[in-house]
Amino acid sequence: MTFQPVIVNIGEGAEGRLVFQDDQLVAVLVQLSALHGEQAGGWFLEPGFGPLAGPNPPVFADIDAASEWLAARLTAHAAISPPIERL
Amino acid sequence: MGNPFIANLSHYVKLTGGESAALDILLGKRVPFGPGDELVTPGRAGRHCHVLLQGQAFRHRNLADGRRQILLFQAPGDVLDLQGLFLGLDHEVTALSRGEMAIVPHEAMDALLDVNGNIARGLWRLSLVEAAIFREWMVGMGRRSAHARIAHLLCEVFVRLRVTGIAQGDRCPFPVTQTHLSDALGLSVVHTNRVLQTLRADGVADVRQGQLVVRDWQRLKLAGEFDPAYLHLAAAAA
Repeated sequence: MTFQPVIVNIGEGAEGRLVFQDDQLVAVLVQLSALHGEQAGGWFLEPGFGPLAGPNPPVFADIDAASEWLAARLTAHAAISPPIERL
Repeated sequence: MGNPFIANLSHYVKLTGGESAALDILLGKRVPFGPGDELVTPGRAGRHCHVLLQGQAFRHRNLADGRRQILLFQAPGDVLDLQGLFLGLDHEVTALSRGEMAIVPHEAMDALLDVNGNIARGLWRLSLVEAAIFREWMVGMGRRSAHARIAHLLCEVFVRLRVTGIAQGDRCPFPVTQTHLSDALGLSVVHTNRVLQTLRADGVADVRQGQLVVRDWQRLKLAGEFDPAYLHLAAAAA
């Protein structure tokens, strides 16, 4: 899993990470600014793709925590689902 | 200030003096509550209707893993569980603030409805307006941006509370957290926070310290695509 730095147009000019797994974009993390109070500095799973999509996106304390969670989710999903057929 | 339930019902049917008096008696048993109190719980063998008279509350459904969907912000004059008169309840109601509610035995409600078609029609209309509010929320959650959803909700709350008389000028009590707003509108707390910051920075509206302050009503309405027609309040200000 790789984390590519990027700036995200959220209005705060937020720092982000494009998250790749095996050359596929699986998520975009956005670092929360001071406007977010207690969650400031945390990494927000803004869009997640495939098994990482869902209505309750988490905020991670740091990139390591994000990496662990994302990897676990992708592994769990791969264990129960067949690979997606190319159309 | 009269009985807020009678005031609410009066928006939808014309009540005679005798009918108002009967309703006052019906709502005679009053019970105070504090913030966070559970006012209505599903599953408890409910034999009573609960009518909000003072204070604020929210209707919600909790999922097994703790996720919560807020279904409505209740205003004084609302019946919190009219459905319980006929069917089982599928929601809870929790207090946002201190307040007072009336507890009406179903038997007494039934007896009054048996003899008074006017009041029955009024309650029917209240239910229909409630359903209209739910439909409006569906449209918002399905098709509006986060910014528009929040703006619309703030408009709705402001209009409903202004009609009950508890709004003062450009502000009304609204002791909600960002989590309440997020749980009502299908948003993450992060998105809710961003929108609230923008509304505040733009001088449109502010939700803080238990109050909603509407700084620019026209812009808030525009942002929320808000048209109060669905509330069916002849007295609602534009």
